[in-house]
Amino acid sequence: MATQLATHIVTFQLNGRPHAVTVAPLTTLRTALREDLHLHATKAGCGQGGCGSCTVLLDNELVLSCLVPVTLVDGRSVTTLEGIGGPGRLHPLQEAFHDHFAAQCGYCTAGMIMAAKWLLDRNPNPTRAEIQMALAGNLCRCTGYVPIIEAIEDAARRMSKGVKR
Amino acid sequence: MSTTAFFVPRTVEQAIDLKREHGKNLVVLGGGTIVMGLVHDGLLFPKLAMSLARAGMSDVRRRDGWLEIGAATPIARLAALKGATTLERAAGMLGGPALRTLATAGGNLFAKAPYGDMCVPLLAMDAELEIAGAGRRYTVPLEQFLSRRSLKNDELVVSIHVPKAQGRGAYLKLGRRQANTPSVVAVAVQAVLDTNGKCTDVRIALGAAAPQAVRAKKAEAVLIGRRLEDATIKAAAESAQAECNPATDSLASAWYRREMVGVFVHRALDELGRST
Repeated sequence: MATQLATHIVTFQLNGRPHAVTVAPLTTLRTALREDLHLHATKAGCGQGGCGSCTVLLDNELVLSCLVPVTLVDGRSVTTLEGIGGPGRLHPLQEAFHDHFAAQCGYCTAGMIMAAKWLLDRNPNPTRAEIQMALAGNLCRCTGYVPIIEAIEDAARRMSKGVKR
Repeated sequence: MSTTAFFVPRTVEQAIDLKREHGKNLVVLGGGTIVMGLVHDGLLFPKLAMSLARAGMSDVRRRDGWLEIGAATPIARLAALKGATTLERAAGMLGGPALRTLATAGGNLFAKAPYGDMCVPLLAMDAELEIAGAGRRYTVPLEQFLSRRSLKNDELVVSIHVPKAQGRGAYLKLGRRQANTPSVVAVAVQAVLDTNGKCTDVRIALGAAAPQAVRAKKAEAVLIGRRLEDATIKAAAESAQAECNPATDSLASAWYRREMVGVFVHRALDELGRST
């Protein structure tokens, strides 16, 4: 049994590379990402699993990093927005979000893109309704949902044409 | 945060040992979607916590026509079952995709209204819970568990046993938006009709219509021995409306919930009457 008393070390693959964090019991994955590993794309929103701004991939499944004790991530694989692309090497989803002005304040964007990536990994050619349901857990309080959905449709087209990914 | 230990037991027996040793001081996480929210809000300060995620309780098995759902089975897994039951429908309508990855079937039994949608189809399908404690295992009807909440200090819900669905089922949920929202009301109905279309067996379950999911037994009694015709359906819906006990919260008033119990029981029975 893994009994984690007081502070302990957790190791996991983060964006394809091994990382270790030293954390207190019940520290969340979100806190470990932002405060220990200084990856700030993943946002801290409601802390209740209601807003989706902390959405990341855990073993390629969509999770809310504010609800996952990082202890349970030990030995597993985490992908954040930083892991799918960045300046000079944008992922087609990031390019499409940029081109469609799919961010206003930008606070929801990282979670939106991770949810969209999860969808397109499983369903490269989704309908509009499928995109809406995949994004059901991600709130945009600027209410800019239409350009977000259009960006994801466009990214799906770009990716199916084999435009750089 | 002052949590001094976080246990990740690898077997049910280890989890029960920890429950026996620490009793009520030990906060149990299925997927953590309820507990972690309370911790973030400063409403819960667990000194000791335990996750059931690695305790070997995440399997779904079929045995003698029954479905045995491990308590730590993610809701996403239930949504992907291919049995065309109200259970899958309810699972697929719970939260958003990321929440469904984490939230568990067993954890959802402990969610307070208006959460806890899974209890609604489970009640309509007459599910039982398997409870394990130090040196004992037994089953208890879900309905009894929900009304008494009598888990002992060393006991855990380890699995949910669902009998093969008899007759036809319907599940309807009303929320303030189409997805990722708690229920204004949720209704599940499981009914058996004889060759004359008369109802021989029926269970109607309501969610967000009382402090926990409940059966609408007076409405069920209205239906027994009768065809699902307009007047009968109307009488049953009115009965369900009268016998439920909803609360006012930020989603809906008790008055509105009671109205919607009537509307949605009516719609669910209509749906069953039309399906053949």
